[in-house]
Amino acid sequence: MTLSRSRILALAVTALALVAAPASANHHTSGMKAGKADLRSAGPLAFGPQGILFAGDSNGAAIFALDTGDTKPGSSGSVSVKGVNEKVAAMLGTSADQILIEDMAVNPISKNTYLSVSRGRGPDAMAVILKVDAAGKISEFSLDNIKHSKATLPNAPAPDAKDGRGGSLRVQSITDLAYVDGKVLVAGLSNEEFASTLRSIPFPFSAVDGGTGVEIFHGAHGRFETNAPVRTFVPYEIQNEPHLLAAYTCTPLVKFPLSDLKPGSKVMGTTIAELGNRNRPLDMIVYAKGGTDYILMNNSSRGVMKMSTKDIHKYEGIKEKTDITGLPYETIAELKGVQQLDRLDDNNALILVQDESGAMELKTIALP
Amino acid sequence: MRARLQQWVRLLAAALCLLNAAWADSITVEMEKAGGEYVFRLSPFPNGSRQPNETMRVYVDGGPAANADLPPLLGSYTVDGKVLSFKPRFPLQAGVRYRVVFDDGAGSGPQERTFDIPDTDGGAAAVVEEIYPTADVLPENQLKFYLHFSAPMSRSEAYLRVHLLDEDGKRITLPFLELDQELWDRAGRRLTIFFDPARVKRGLLPHEEAGVPIEDGKSYTLVVEKEWLDAGGKPLARGFEKRFRVGPADREPPRLTDWVVSAPKAGVRDPVIVEFPESLDHALLGRLVRITTAARRAPLRGEITIDRHEMRWRFTPDAPWPAGRYYVEVGTILEDLAGNTLERPFEVDVFERVQERVAGATETIGFEVK
Repeated sequence: MTLSRSRILALAVTALALVAAPASANHHTSGMKAGKADLRSAGPLAFGPQGILFAGDSNGAAIFALDTGDTKPGSSGSVSVKGVNEKVAAMLGTSADQILIEDMAVNPISKNTYLSVSRGRGPDAMAVILKVDAAGKISEFSLDNIKHSKATLPNAPAPDAKDGRGGSLRVQSITDLAYVDGKVLVAGLSNEEFASTLRSIPFPFSAVDGGTGVEIFHGAHGRFETNAPVRTFVPYEIQNEPHLLAAYTCTPLVKFPLSDLKPGSKVMGTTIAELGNRNRPLDMIVYAKGGTDYILMNNSSRGVMKMSTKDIHKYEGIKEKTDITGLPYETIAELKGVQQLDRLDDNNALILVQDESGAMELKTIALP
Repeated sequence: MRARLQQWVRLLAAALCLLNAAWADSITVEMEKAGGEYVFRLSPFPNGSRQPNETMRVYVDGGPAANADLPPLLGSYTVDGKVLSFKPRFPLQAGVRYRVVFDDGAGSGPQERTFDIPDTDGGAAAVVEEIYPTADVLPENQLKFYLHFSAPMSRSEAYLRVHLLDEDGKRITLPFLELDQELWDRAGRRLTIFFDPARVKRGLLPHEEAGVPIEDGKSYTLVVEKEWLDAGGKPLARGFEKRFRVGPADREPPRLTDWVVSAPKAGVRDPVIVEFPESLDHALLGRLVRITTAARRAPLRGEITIDRHEMRWRFTPDAPWPAGRYYVEVGTILEDLAGNTLERPFEVDVFERVQERVAGATETIGFEVK
């Protein structure tokens, strides 16, 4: 019996699909090789798709993409780890005053929490990544043999760079990191020039592309324009267009469309709020409640701020001195000492909070 | 009499038996250095089904109250004959006490032994070598300080250890930008501290609310506390103070046309000397100013010296100067003390917009060596 042409075609298509399917399931890890991820410093963390964890390495001037393989969907219970800094220090064989918890990110799929930690406080500090599961159990996320890729930032240290001849003393401290639409966005602050760098790196990383730098400016009452290092930012869609909400090392909170981040361009953020003295957001997340989107920001000294995004699309910027200072926000003063903040799920956030004694607790809070 | 002697002999025999039994079964734990790192060794490791981590676990000793909650050290176990070894994942820390809990499973319960890692004397205590800018008069819109230390320092206490005092010795509240990521160089020997740009910049809320951090006409002292710990955990040998006066805000971008270049003679290694009318940023002078040849390829190799309160830059070549045309090549993001660059002032006043020059990456001044 001979097969009809359409049967042959059907069989061929099925065969192709069977061959192609496994490859397309993890295209995000294409270009990644297993091996030691040589992080020289522990910095900001952010999750990308499919359990890929991005880690910023300021000393090595690189962004790592780590395949955690942690893709089994998990449910977020109520997490509570008291004395998490003491427990982390104990596991790393040192005292609590010898570790620094640099950043925290929740895997949106598994709901496990990842911490980037410096073991030691000197220039030789070791970078460690730890995982905390929903039950509060802490384990090391080893970087010794992990599938990963790396994007090198333009001012990576030369192998033989010496002190005293310039160049090697400059470091871009990576202050924030996010994955949006196939790109990793990196905010950095130089320890020399007062310059803004917001870098956009296509992901999966290619060997030579360190991304494009964009100069960010902000205005002040419609009169003064200055270069402004972005400290922390969060992606947000305004009327279906991807934007960034960014907080500077100064105080304006601005919005700008992602499409403005063109190579070599100069971007003026539209000021949506002036946060005032001592109000410097450390982390920002966006969530929905009762039909409105809110921005939640932690500022360790002033508590947690909740800002409504209602009418954000109408804002053309704070132009005059007499204008009301932007989007209204309230401070949730009882949440003091919040060092880290990230989304857990639609109704909860995870915070790392420090009390007066210095003890730190990792715990879940309801989104306010 | 004989009965009593027999009793004693029996007792002695029993005691000896017990001792023998104890010796035969007792396990010991030692800490030793192997390959430069500390390792814990337990022997004899009883054969059988007992897991290594049930037999021996190492903890940081946090004191009786904390110990109940602390997890054991990360590390790995190996068994070699009758010896169970535990190698900590990270090198042990001087000044920390470690507690080994071990149990031979014979029913006598867990035992403990503690070990202290001896403090190694790290050498001389560190000091502040210099604070830039070194000038005694700073503009009201001064942007930053660089603190240079003689040895690597520890992170996370910078803003507790640096203070700005007014003329009466009173601390200025929050004059500096306090970042969790302190701005150190890779060696941990240079710290950059920014004055809070939100207070320096005009038109922002903190500028209105709190005012500029330092005021024209007044004097201040920048104080570095000696309690600042270096990377080895030792405080500084002494603190440091920088006294300075404040002049008017500087809103003028530096101009290369104001610079004076004194060319050296050919055939010798005398320096080329570049002088400018105002102090410039020390770090950027070290990085953004180079000497190149007419061919404009790689910069010449040599040594840079910055002195006279960062108003003079000198370059001594590694090899004697051949005669010819040279260039002082300057990156246009070079800043003066207030953050004005060759490209633009720190703040561009859009009402009175100064003509912004086309921002090339560098500008040059030519000179002849003959």
